[in-house]
Amino acid sequence: MRILCLLLLVICANASAVTLEQLQQRFASQPVIRANFVQVRTIAGMAQPLVSRGQLLIAQQQGLWWQQATPFPLMLILDDKRMVQSMSGQPPQVITADSNPQMFQFNHLLRALFQADEKVLRENFALDFHDLGNHRWQLGLTPKAAPLNKIFNRIDLQGEAFLNRITLDDKQGDKTEITLSATRTEPKQLTDEERARFAPAQ
Amino acid sequence: MKSEPVLPQRSEKTVALLWLAVCLTLALVLAVLLPRSQLNSSVLALLPQQNLGQAPAEIQHGFMQRLDRQLVWLVSANDQDGDAVAAWWQAQLQALPMLKQVSGALDDDQMQRWGAYAFQHRNGLIDPATRARLQNGGGAQADWILAQLFSAFAGVGSKEIGNDPLLLVRGAQLALQQSANKMLLHNGWLTVNDAQQRRWYFLHGELASNAFSIKESHQLVTALNQLEQQLKTRWPDAQLLTRGTVLFSDNASQRAQHDVETLGSATLAGLLLLVWLVFRSLRPLALCALSVAIGAMAGTVLTLLCFGELHLTTLVMSLSIVGISADYTLYYLTERMVHGEQATPWQSLHKVRGTLLLALGTTAIAWLLMLLAPFPGLRQLAVFAASGLSASCLTVICFYPWLVRGLPVRPIPAMVWLARWLAAWRRNNGLKRGLPALVAIYALSGMLQLKVDDDIAHLQSAPAQLLAQDRQLAQLTGQQADQTWFVVWGDDEQQALQRLSALAPQLQQAQQQGWLASYRVLPLSSLAQQQQDVALLQQAAPTILDRLKQAGITVANANLNAMPVIAADWLASPLSEGWRLLWLSLPDGRSSVLVPIGGVKNSAALQQLASQQAGVSWVDRKANYDELFRFWRTLLSGLLALALLLITASYMLRLGVKAGLRSALPSWLSLAAALATLGWIGASLNLFALLALILVLGIGINYTLFFSNPRGTPLTSMLAVTLAMMTTLLTLGMLVFSSTAAISGFGTVLCSGIFCAFLLAPLALAPGKRKQR
Repeated sequence: MRILCLLLLVICANASAVTLEQLQQRFASQPVIRANFVQVRTIAGMAQPLVSRGQLLIAQQQGLWWQQATPFPLMLILDDKRMVQSMSGQPPQVITADSNPQMFQFNHLLRALFQADEKVLRENFALDFHDLGNHRWQLGLTPKAAPLNKIFNRIDLQGEAFLNRITLDDKQGDKTEITLSATRTEPKQLTDEERARFAPAQ
Repeated sequence: MKSEPVLPQRSEKTVALLWLAVCLTLALVLAVLLPRSQLNSSVLALLPQQNLGQAPAEIQHGFMQRLDRQLVWLVSANDQDGDAVAAWWQAQLQALPMLKQVSGALDDDQMQRWGAYAFQHRNGLIDPATRARLQNGGGAQADWILAQLFSAFAGVGSKEIGNDPLLLVRGAQLALQQSANKMLLHNGWLTVNDAQQRRWYFLHGELASNAFSIKESHQLVTALNQLEQQLKTRWPDAQLLTRGTVLFSDNASQRAQHDVETLGSATLAGLLLLVWLVFRSLRPLALCALSVAIGAMAGTVLTLLCFGELHLTTLVMSLSIVGISADYTLYYLTERMVHGEQATPWQSLHKVRGTLLLALGTTAIAWLLMLLAPFPGLRQLAVFAASGLSASCLTVICFYPWLVRGLPVRPIPAMVWLARWLAAWRRNNGLKRGLPALVAIYALSGMLQLKVDDDIAHLQSAPAQLLAQDRQLAQLTGQQADQTWFVVWGDDEQQALQRLSALAPQLQQAQQQGWLASYRVLPLSSLAQQQQDVALLQQAAPTILDRLKQAGITVANANLNAMPVIAADWLASPLSEGWRLLWLSLPDGRSSVLVPIGGVKNSAALQQLASQQAGVSWVDRKANYDELFRFWRTLLSGLLALALLLITASYMLRLGVKAGLRSALPSWLSLAAALATLGWIGASLNLFALLALILVLGIGINYTLFFSNPRGTPLTSMLAVTLAMMTTLLTLGMLVFSSTAAISGFGTVLCSGIFCAFLLAPLALAPGKRKQR
């Protein structure tokens, strides 16, 4: 879940940022972002990678909506207060911030990043920002403290005008790559249908 | 009338030597017992234990004792120093010999053992959510595994799916997290953030020994305070919150010791002054002190022998017993002072012995009546008082004729005033009718203002600073000190666990009904449940593995063997960290689990729920106590009224209707006036006030008895009663100034009642006894 927040953060970085600060300053100017995703999970010892596709939506006020379409439908909503995972045929699984703050720890952390709170970010990750030229950039995050550093070796984010790719490098040698395409920022407000997605789960 | 011996008889020498031997034995026993004794200062300990639900008493006691041993700290500093400050604090705590099992940061090794145990016993630790997904063929579990695998955010790795293809460990862990509290893990520390995003580190420890004496408690609290000072010197913006029963009990015992020291010395000084004024000689002082000391010693020894501990209230209230036990010496010495020239010490003794024993009898019976009430603290007090008073009285009877030889003879001090007071009672109808009428008016008007309050919380007066700290801690951790829980027990471990799993679904329903906000069920299944789970696994596994294969995922075959988990192993594993307090096994195998309940909205419904299940009881300590207080207050009111009626009836039978009513009037009025005083000063009527009334009745009747004692003359009776009243007021009056509300209310009722009993006691003078003066 925590990585979702990272995603939420960085996907908003759309312009030809040269510095981290400039990237962060732009986050606020994109209230809604929509994109398609392809996720490839390579798990050591498994013949084939697990590939899934779908759509995602990030709204600054409401949170993140992650809709996996293939190979099977799966929906995930993450906002300030709760996390809801729904699969067809199963009751939605709801975790609230009150019942499980552990899950929300990084949510708060990354909100600080939205507000350009570099202090909080540096507290948890060693940052490694590169301007790759041609408006392309890369941000490497190396976790400094437990439990993050027990899970990941490193998290890499790459982008140009928008965030293009997130790579999670797992301690166990597994890898996850999420590639985003067809990123759209219009309309700037959520449509009624989109807003309904974030309505409290039953 | 039998002849009164002039000189000591052989038997009296024997008796004196015997009593000396008893006293020496008592001293010896005291020397052995005292260093090991502990002071119990919890007001709750005054209360009966059998009403704490129906669980076996040993189980209740075991849990209470264990909860009382816990200590919790939250420490916080500015962001950079947090880890260092918490680690420093943990190291300091671990160095304290009075603490054990101080836990703070989980190290990697512990984390690994945690994971290893959960993995090795995964088939025996199946949680309810996983169990539900495994039912109906296991399709739901397959879907869930797929969702976890495909989610980049769930982080299922190759190692995990390889070792545990059914993701049972993950399921159990998620279930645990769901029931977890507000804590987050930060670098191995359990932490919690407050509204200002300040990070607090959680530490936990236990008192090192079961029997924690006042001295040890105070040492610990002092050491902790010093450490806190050091902490704040090193890190000026560090903050610390502490919770533990020991803080409250130390505070209470320090205040009690202060009470005993200041009030005790004031009492003693007053007594000494009184004795000096009456006798003008040093020896009576020493004799008073001797009988009081022997009484106190006997009381302490017997209480310790009977109960193994001293309650704080016993200690403070023993002040009052000091005063009453001095009375016996004073009676005898008064007798010697007045008649020392005409009678030998033995003649005097024989003259007062009956009165002494009668006085002892009535007072002791009043105290022993308290044994009826199922309150451990009050029973202690009763035993302490009855044995202490008896020992004092026996000391006077056995020793003092040997010790009073050569005591100066003086006229009765203030004889004129006492005589006038008595004469006025006989001749002055204004006094005879007016004073009781005045008292009655005072009593009635005061009783109209009397409030009844059975709220036990008003009895314990913890300092605001400790309470504020406790509140802040409860708010941060979400761990309220409500003390509401279900106790589930069984004849053995498995029965307890089976009953627990029968209760769990009911709790869920109760939560949906809104009767409670949260509950924590021990994540351990009975062996029978574990067997069912394994059977379920074996049924579901082929389907699940098939479904995974269809989705293109190849996993190893799952291990479907039974992996039984028994309580002892589980408790020894890191997995039970944070749960161990909730489990208790007695040496005989009987076992019990606590299910803490938060946010209780409907205690009665939960009580009902518990009563429908075998081996489950609902414990809402405060509600129980309030109810219990009310019950006993009502019951004792009834008993007191009955006693008053019986006393009145017996007077009327003995003395005739008119004289009988007149003799009973002081008792009625003194009780009413005592109640009225509570009303006038705005205090409320509770159980403790009622217990004080019993004593007012018991001691007050003494005063009327002395006036109707055929061997005494009204004037010496008057002196004896006056002295007795003064010593009692001196000592019980001090109780009024106690900082513990319950004790101060007790003192108020006693003082006003006894003074009123003294004031009206001459009403009992029979008009026909006029000649005896």
